[in-house]
Amino acid sequence: MTSLVSLRGIQKTYDGKQLVVKNLDLEVSEGEFLTLLGPSGSGKTTVLMMLAGFETPTTGEIVIAGQHMTRLPPQKRGIGMVFQNYALFPNMSVAENLAFPLEVRKLPAAELRDRVEKSLAMVRLTPFADRRPSQLSGGQQQRVALARALIFEPRLVLMDEPLGALDKNLREQMQYEIKQIHARLGVTVVYVTHDQSEALTMSDRVAVFNDGIIQQICPPKELYERPGNSFVAGFIGENNRLQGVVRKIIDDDCLVEIAPGVTVRARKVGVHATAEPTTLSIRPERVKISPQAGEVDTVIAGEVESVLYHGDHIRAHLRGLGPTPFVVKLPNTNGAAATLVAGASVSIGWASRDCLALDLMEA
Amino acid sequence: MSAPLSAAQMAGASPVAMPADIERAARRVERRQTFSAAMLVLPLIVLIAFAFLIPVGLLLFKSIDNPVVAEGLPETLIALQSWSPADGLPSDAAYLGLKRDIEKAKANGSLGVIGARLNQDTPGARSLLQATGRKLDAVTDADPRQAFITIDKRWGEPEIFGAIRNAGDRYTFNYYLNALDLTRNTAGDIIAKPEGQRLHINLFIRTVWVSALTAFVCFLLAYPIAYLLAHLPARRANLLMIVVLLPFWTSILVRITSWIALLQKQGVVNDALASLGVIGEAGRLALIYNMTGTIIVGTHILLPFFVLPLYSVMKTVNPNLVRAATSLGASPFTAFRRVYFPLTVPGIFAGSSLVFILCTGYFITPALVGGQNGQLISNIIAYHMQQSLNWGLAAALSTLLLVMIGIVYFLYTRLVRDQR
Amino acid sequence: MFLPVSPTAGPLERLWHVVFSGLCLAIFAFLILPLVIVVPLSFNAEAYFTFTREMLSLSPEAFSLRWYRELFTNPQWAAAFRNSLFVAVGATLIATTLGTVAALGLAKLKPALRASVMILLLSPMIIPIVIVAAALYFFFTAIGLAQTLTGLILAHAMLGAPFVVTTVLATLSGFDWNLVRAAASLGAGPVHTFRKVTLPAIAPGVISGGLFAFITSLDEVVVVMFLASVDQRTVPRQMWSGIREQLSPTILAAATLLIVASFLLLLFAEMIRRRNEAARASTYKD
Ligand SMILES: Nc1ncnc2c1ncn2[C@@H]1O[C@H](COP(=O)(O)OP(=O)(O)O)[C@@H](O)[C@H]1O
Ligand SMILES: [Mg+2]
Repeated sequence: MTSLVSLRGIQKTYDGKQLVVKNLDLEVSEGEFLTLLGPSGSGKTTVLMMLAGFETPTTGEIVIAGQHMTRLPPQKRGIGMVFQNYALFPNMSVAENLAFPLEVRKLPAAELRDRVEKSLAMVRLTPFADRRPSQLSGGQQQRVALARALIFEPRLVLMDEPLGALDKNLREQMQYEIKQIHARLGVTVVYVTHDQSEALTMSDRVAVFNDGIIQQICPPKELYERPGNSFVAGFIGENNRLQGVVRKIIDDDCLVEIAPGVTVRARKVGVHATAEPTTLSIRPERVKISPQAGEVDTVIAGEVESVLYHGDHIRAHLRGLGPTPFVVKLPNTNGAAATLVAGASVSIGWASRDCLALDLMEA
Repeated sequence: MSAPLSAAQMAGASPVAMPADIERAARRVERRQTFSAAMLVLPLIVLIAFAFLIPVGLLLFKSIDNPVVAEGLPETLIALQSWSPADGLPSDAAYLGLKRDIEKAKANGSLGVIGARLNQDTPGARSLLQATGRKLDAVTDADPRQAFITIDKRWGEPEIFGAIRNAGDRYTFNYYLNALDLTRNTAGDIIAKPEGQRLHINLFIRTVWVSALTAFVCFLLAYPIAYLLAHLPARRANLLMIVVLLPFWTSILVRITSWIALLQKQGVVNDALASLGVIGEAGRLALIYNMTGTIIVGTHILLPFFVLPLYSVMKTVNPNLVRAATSLGASPFTAFRRVYFPLTVPGIFAGSSLVFILCTGYFITPALVGGQNGQLISNIIAYHMQQSLNWGLAAALSTLLLVMIGIVYFLYTRLVRDQR
Repeated sequence: MFLPVSPTAGPLERLWHVVFSGLCLAIFAFLILPLVIVVPLSFNAEAYFTFTREMLSLSPEAFSLRWYRELFTNPQWAAAFRNSLFVAVGATLIATTLGTVAALGLAKLKPALRASVMILLLSPMIIPIVIVAAALYFFFTAIGLAQTLTGLILAHAMLGAPFVVTTVLATLSGFDWNLVRAAASLGAGPVHTFRKVTLPAIAPGVISGGLFAFITSLDEVVVVMFLASVDQRTVPRQMWSGIREQLSPTILAAATLLIVASFLLLLFAEMIRRRNEAARASTYKD
């Protein structure tokens, strides 16, 4: 896979006081679907705006397909962009919106018409060609925005929270459609979202942003299974956190003391030496209630505080393991909740490969 | 493929202090953006500067600029430097200087202008100067003082030299003194003008009074209809809004014409009242060409300026607040007085200061329908501009009017700020 | 035109409601009647400024087009209409262009800087017109622009531009700047983007600001009085002399024509405003 986009040593500040993007280095491969995921205000939009040319990096350079972009105005870059609220031209019909980039490129009328028709068909909006954007539903507007960003066949398409304004069902359907189109056209996509499930289901790779820094960049599966630090572990999915101190390092594992005399074995991710403080992260669905002997590596006792019924699964909050309730998530199979009544003492356990010793999370 | 960052790397990537070069680069981008935005505003700023700021600045400068006597009678003024009217008549040098100055002014044709300038303070000075100019040959080096007094006995009074010296400053506050109904006595002290000549202060007071009254009448008329417009269903409100906006869009001259047709002695209102027998033919009401006319027509012209801001404030008042007040047991009147009215006060401030400020500058209405006692400060400014040609006084009055408007505007912004 | 009265209202409240309605009716009459009254008066067959007995009894001989004939055949009035139109069109073009461009720049300035520039740009609106006119008289005389139509056009453009700035800024406050970015990302240069995207979006503001600048110029008399020569008289200047010197019903005819013109302009402006509002409100709800 060849690299299409390179961001090298990018820093950005708007006001000269606070760095919104700090020392960003990022390569995007040809045909890749890369997602920038992070909380609001973490600098994702800023990165897209610099790629598209609406903001200039304070330092660093952007190279796309071997060409330096830093001094190139947006309209010369040939990058497709889908904006968060679509930015459809309200004074033009759907077909006129689609024709706009082709008119600018002075395509012959016949070819233009042909391309617009194909594009309308691709997003299944042929009957709506003459409508104004304001006469379309949110999902339809979204599809127009998508078609418009793709119609001039850019090699790179940027999408800034394109599904943020849609309700849940529509969002899932559009996620599927965007994936389909990506697979069919082979276009490179840089996608921004703050919705982790969207990032996990759609992307080839996910870059987790926080505070202007990429915390981790890797394929979705790895992100969930092997979070690189406690921010990522907390941001992607749920996790239980226990504070402790490393007592011993054994190959890829380590022993962590979480309470006087209570030591658990964990995979070593963010720690390097003994006596280092660490945060242990355990996913709620990896915890076993009343485990059989040999089923788990670690067993601890706790007291049930409350039980919440969720239909497909059951959640229990346990007391006695750290300052916050320890969450356990069980699939709702027959008899799963039998031992779980508030006030009951239970034993819980987990495999040491499901327990990660990460950097100390600052409160 | 995974590339997690360690805590140590992260700390390295987020420096506590911003490096100077980054700060500079960010400044540069910001300056470029501000610059390109400013370039768009620039053409209009140039127009406003050219057709407004510079001309108004130059006009206001005329209120202290006083070149005529300083440049026209330079030798006289030098000789009068250490003289004061209390010393009696000035020295021979002053008379000789005056002789040479008048000769020079006669030669370059500026004697009339100098005379006109002196005439503003001392009536009769222009003809005195002209007459002296014609007989100047009689003045010799031997006894110039006596020669001057022979030409006209006014040259034997210290007052005329006092007037020359007072008018001789290159820059002067005399126009402001005049605009404030003050004057200098021959000793140069500032004193109030005699009772009968204090017309400017009275005019300022009248202008403020008329403006306040108009603003108050506008408030009384605007509040009910703004309330109605804000609470009617949109369709009917829009229709009625046209009734408010039509006068707003119609030429002031047209509206004045209409009011003349309505209010004059032989006009529609008087005709109607007379034919109904309310008034007799002899008792026709003087509704126009006086203060009444200025106020009626002014109210009509300025009313939309009160209705519109008040209406937009009323539109933002949440109707649930009044409902809440009544549900808590308040009568409709109490709910209005304690909840609704206080919330509309910002609109009242906006409307009344707008009407007040516009009214203080009113010119057309008083000029056309104000008669003798309905004239305002703008009219006297125009009078000094066009008829008496005392431009310095016109400029001083203009400055004072602007200061007054500035004070009202400042008070308004303070009021608005205290509201929040 | 009346507010609905609550079914639970007591007698006192009902009485107040009647009084309030009557009051509003009277105020609306005060606003509109003076304009309505000149229309029939302008068809007076006599040289009176009031209704004659014959007019009141609706006898046809009492009405005539005499004053309109007078208006259209008098060369002074014809010149006045020509001058007014020429000056107003010129001033409107300048004010609208400069005002729109300036509003686009202002929208991008930092709020603090924008506020101070706005005070500068809007000050012509509250400075007494006599001061402006006197100042222009001196300055334009000094530079040779007094008694020229160019000078008048520039002065009126300066008076009209603040309206354009405020209306266009108001439209821009609801403008989605992402549209401009979208156009650029699709390959359009700045000029094309302005023509095809920005201008259509702010058109309602530009047009109503332009209309305001137009009637401002059409209505302006004081600057004309100070700056214009006798053969540069405009319609309001002509009316001024009419009111000052000889009150003839010809000015009633002129007034009627101006009222009709402002009514049409107002309807046009309202139509634009409502279309704009409707377009903003009609976003699809799903
Ligand atoms: N045009 C701008 N001017 C100044 N600050 C901005 C601008 N755009 C974004 N920011 C700031 O930069 C930070 C990152 O913003 P953004 O890139 O929009 O984050 P995200 O898209 O991840 O929510 C935020 O703190 C935001 O306030
Ligand atoms: Mg964002």
